[in-house]
Amino acid sequence: MTFDYMAIWDNRDILVQGVLTTLIVAGTAIPVGIVIGVLVCMLRISKNRLLRWPAIAYIEIIRNIPLLILLFMVFYALPFFGVRLSGLTTGFICLSIYGGAYFAEVFRGGVEAVSKGQFDAAKALGLKYGFYMRRVIFPQLYGYVFPPATNIALTLIKETSLLSMLAVAELTYAAHDINGRTFTPVETFATIALIYWVISILFLKLTSSLQSRIEVRHLSQPIMTR
Amino acid sequence: MDLQFIEIIPQTGPMFMAALYTIFVGIVACVVGIGVGTGLLLMRNSSLLVLRGFARLYGSFIRGTPALVQILIFYYVLAPLIGIDIGPLTAGIMAVGFNSGAYVAEILRGGLSRIPVGQWEAAEALGLSRHKIWFRVILPQVYNSVIPLLVNEFTMVIKITPLLSTITVVELTRASQMLYNETFRPVEVLLLAALIYFIICFSISQYGEYLQRRSVKYRL
Repeated sequence: MTFDYMAIWDNRDILVQGVLTTLIVAGTAIPVGIVIGVLVCMLRISKNRLLRWPAIAYIEIIRNIPLLILLFMVFYALPFFGVRLSGLTTGFICLSIYGGAYFAEVFRGGVEAVSKGQFDAAKALGLKYGFYMRRVIFPQLYGYVFPPATNIALTLIKETSLLSMLAVAELTYAAHDINGRTFTPVETFATIALIYWVISILFLKLTSSLQSRIEVRHLSQPIMTR
Repeated sequence: MDLQFIEIIPQTGPMFMAALYTIFVGIVACVVGIGVGTGLLLMRNSSLLVLRGFARLYGSFIRGTPALVQILIFYYVLAPLIGIDIGPLTAGIMAVGFNSGAYVAEILRGGLSRIPVGQWEAAEALGLSRHKIWFRVILPQVYNSVIPLLVNEFTMVIKITPLLSTITVVELTRASQMLYNETFRPVEVLLLAALIYFIICFSISQYGEYLQRRSVKYRL
């Protein structure tokens, strides 16, 4: 069989637009997800049950429900309560919430990996909770947290493909669109797979260089200097 | 808006059947995944550069592309390329299984790294063939040590199965869509679907954690 490259080339605008939408959704949902993750992690490791239990419930519920169901609930069920969101907004909100639960677990794993003596020492020095968390515990987390957090961010980039089911014109939807016009499924789907692959590889390259930089900075600088 | 769970209950029969179907698809896909993962593990440890390179490339591709796109590729690209119509269910199961295989390979690689070198040396000293060393000595120990992680991988597979609704496999998500299109009650139907997924995944992942704790305790 022959490959019809022209079908892809003629519709490159749609693909470029799709890539941009994918990157925008992922690029906003990942930072928001990390912020949610840090906050939920703080609640999760708290000694207070009223703070800890909602965090546990949030993490366990989100992690045990497929993202697609979450998207459908926000997109199709919320309008019955008077909340009508566009596909793009739904995607951004759901990916942030979804990512937040996974990031929270990663951060908790990091906090637990930091040796208990660090907490005791910080407390013995009379440091306040907020201060020693920020200046003593978190700087030690990077090594533990960075690789798994990178994986979750990469998952979020890939999960943006589900937004095609809410008719958000991201990359996978662009492929369906081109396929509908030209009827060249082999070429279009192979092309977007390659594009996703390139995005992922570039993302991993970026994060690994970022990681080595952060580690160098935190190792070369005494933690407690002000 | 008032929720009417009681009213839709008589109509939810197909959803529970579809839930069983989801579990069935998950189990078959997981078996495929373990097979593919084992194959990739053997390739990674092969002496042939081509096989090692292929295993690495495969892992990179699966981890670098969305599962949804892989399913679409299996359904729209591979079937026409081979020239046979494999149908949505087979294509879907294969896609999910081949996706899971890349992750299973990583899990097995972790398990393999914990096998003491002495096991290899002892097996070689006994004069076992390479084939026997792998399948009779090493792999059984690897599988045994990663069972908790494989159980967790099964929940990941269950969470990918909703994507099969795009290629018209009537699993739980598809069945829910059909039901709420019929009854116009997406709130109740989707909450029920979420609850079923939660029960399936949560119970499996708790079981996985239990196995993990036990294996740490007894050093299995």
